[in-house]
Amino acid sequence: MDDERPRLPIRIVVHDDLVRSRVTVFFRGLLAIPHLIVVSLWGVAAFAVSVILWLALLFEGRAPKSLQSFVATYLRYSVQVGAYVHLAAAPFPRFGGADGYPVDLEIEPARMQARGRVAARLVLALPPLLLATALGGGAFFGNVSWVTRQNGLGSGGWSTGVTMGGVAATAAVLGWFAAFARGRMPRGLRDLIVYAIAYTAQVTGFLLLVTDRYPTSDPSRVLPFAELPDHAVSLRLQDRLERSRLTVFFRLLLAIPHLIWLSFWTVLVLPAAAVAWFAALATARVPQALHRFIAAWVRYSTHVGAFLFVVGGPFPGFVGAAGSYPVDLVIALPERQRRSVTLFRFWLAIPALLVSSAYSFVLFVVAVLGWWAALFTGRMPEGIRNLGAVSLRYTGQANAYLFLLTDRYPDSGPAVRDRPHHEQLQLELEPPPAPTREPHDPPGIEPG
Amino acid sequence: MCASLLLRTSVPAGLHLAHVDTAAIFGRTVVQEAVRVERFFLVNWVLMQVTLFATLWVYARRGGRFARESAAGPIGTGMLLGMLGLGIVWLVQLPFRLLDVWWARRHGLTEAGYLEWAFGHWLELGGTFVSLCVALLVVMFLARRLGEIWWIPGAAVFVAIGTFFAFVQPYLVPTSPLHDPGLQRAVTQFERRQGVSGIPVSVEDVSGTTSQANAYAVGFRGSRKVVLWSTMVDGTFSDAEVKAVLAHEIAHHSSNHIPKGLAWFALFALPGAWILMRATRGRGGMGEAAAIPLALLVVAALQLAALPAQSWISRRMEAEADWKALQTTRDPAAARRLFVGFGKTSLADPNPPTWAYALLENHPTLAQRVAMADAWQRRQPAS
Repeated sequence: MDDERPRLPIRIVVHDDLVRSRVTVFFRGLLAIPHLIVVSLWGVAAFAVSVILWLALLFEGRAPKSLQSFVATYLRYSVQVGAYVHLAAAPFPRFGGADGYPVDLEIEPARMQARGRVAARLVLALPPLLLATALGGGAFFGNVSWVTRQNGLGSGGWSTGVTMGGVAATAAVLGWFAAFARGRMPRGLRDLIVYAIAYTAQVTGFLLLVTDRYPTSDPSRVLPFAELPDHAVSLRLQDRLERSRLTVFFRLLLAIPHLIWLSFWTVLVLPAAAVAWFAALATARVPQALHRFIAAWVRYSTHVGAFLFVVGGPFPGFVGAAGSYPVDLVIALPERQRRSVTLFRFWLAIPALLVSSAYSFVLFVVAVLGWWAALFTGRMPEGIRNLGAVSLRYTGQANAYLFLLTDRYPDSGPAVRDRPHHEQLQLELEPPPAPTREPHDPPGIEPG
Repeated sequence: MCASLLLRTSVPAGLHLAHVDTAAIFGRTVVQEAVRVERFFLVNWVLMQVTLFATLWVYARRGGRFARESAAGPIGTGMLLGMLGLGIVWLVQLPFRLLDVWWARRHGLTEAGYLEWAFGHWLELGGTFVSLCVALLVVMFLARRLGEIWWIPGAAVFVAIGTFFAFVQPYLVPTSPLHDPGLQRAVTQFERRQGVSGIPVSVEDVSGTTSQANAYAVGFRGSRKVVLWSTMVDGTFSDAEVKAVLAHEIAHHSSNHIPKGLAWFALFALPGAWILMRATRGRGGMGEAAAIPLALLVVAALQLAALPAQSWISRRMEAEADWKALQTTRDPAAARRLFVGFGKTSLADPNPPTWAYALLENHPTLAQRVAMADAWQRRQPAS
């Protein structure tokens, strides 16, 4: 399906083998300081150049090649620095960036851009900037930072440099421990960071007028090579993108009965999980009845999350029945679980819960953007819908791990597409609507 | 027989309320302004009702198609259809509510802003959604289990739920205790005279929301409470006038008006549930989600139809509380001043049109209340 769609003008290329030197991992933050200084200064210059680009595109209708190349080179360099800082790549990048870095960008600058879209660039970039902030991936030229002075008064201002925070920072912190301990970066965390960096690069490229292709957050397009390993909990996505504006408008209120019911159910699940924990310690297996009860709760919480955050369209049922909702979890039957993993399950789940909470913030942003988009267009943008689905899948896997449905650790990779043989995420989309434009036409705006 | 028992009142049967010259008592300017203000509210109310029924009519015919937006079972889908109906009604009534606020602000009756009024009640709206869901859960569950006789246990369940909420309501409103020792002493005295005791009096802060004055009695048995709005005790009204209000609210408790109100609710709920069952039969009954949009229309129609009777019962109880308050305070002059003060602060028409009186007035008119104070005074032996 991906092959049928036009390639993104700013796309990520990864040739990373996941191997990391413990020493450079340990000192990564310090080692990156010179690059951060350079990328910050270059960011200021790129911003200034983009103002000239903006004027040129507005009045001349085409961008001077040299200026656009300057910004594009900055973009590539910032991605390489971002990848290095966040442990998505191993080698120390070359100052100014260079070909052949394990995490790199391919950029097709658009010299001709529609004047209207150029004029409104800053406004158009606000929604993806919001999402990029939640993802927090890498280096973009400016972000609003709030500085608290000693006297307690706060002030706001623009700063340049690498944005830290959100999903990418969480994954980087966890990845730091893993890479330092094992000398190898976990693939899921690496992919998640690369996804965040790639999306942020798209947003920055759009904002700084390297391209006029609206950023897409669809993980299957941003990171088409990402893979999901086999897992006992997988996502089944059959949701149509069309939304009823009325149910979107009242989404939060409509979800209230479900949230109340979910709270009651959660109260019951906690003691059930405690019993399951003892049973799994004793017999290395969770009893079928308990497994079924907890699995229904995990599924139901996914259904409710999908409805609440506009990832799913229809109003869900109240029992978490398998296959009853178009954004659903497929949970395997009870299987043998390692006692050592069961014994320390809560402590082992903490990193997954951290990633899950970071994903939850992304899900919140997805909901806000999706709510507006669906309200006005009657349709959920596929990109943010899929990102929301990935967030829900991860949260579902984390819950399944914490509540003893499986001893397989959640996979943080942002993969969406159905891949033969080894990918668990089944994306069963409705037949795509008839294309409204030719692949070679100027790309349109897709919120998110 | 139940109704006749509930209609018993301590207001003397032959009490004659003399005609009151409202212009002389309230002031010609105040009356003219009150009439003008009230007329706008009434026209707006009528338009809102017309819009409500038009909306519910359309929703009853076409609302069923929203069932395709549900992946839930019949009861869950019924909840969705019910909530959507409520949401649509809220949306179409929004302009009328905003008009009300505009008019109230124009005449100094409220200090709330437009946005606050339009969107500041989401929590309240959420509560209504939940209440509706609980109601639909009960009705649809019973209808699916019991078939067409659901209305008998259904009405009983609603009365039980209503009783529960009437009991817990005093604990849901944030209030602070009344600190005025003089008023507290008066409360104790009034309780003794009315044969009750231990009714706490609290103050609800409404500053910044409205300038109107109000008080109410809530709860029953162990949860009884009298609540004064802060506008009642901010110096606008004299102590004697506030005491008249306190005596009135205590009279609601001493006359068991809240349990009686619940009994009236039970009397209305039973035939109401039966009518609902009959009306939705054509759509498969209340157990089917498709019947819910029609059920909303039927319930709204029943509420409108019951409005005159409800208002009449309420006016009767309020009149009894007024009379008992006069018996308790023995200060008709204070009561008179209080009602005149209400006329000024609330800009309520002392003599509203008959249809509005019959439909909407749940208290005797201000003119009637003044007349009752005069009638009480006339009945006292000359001293």
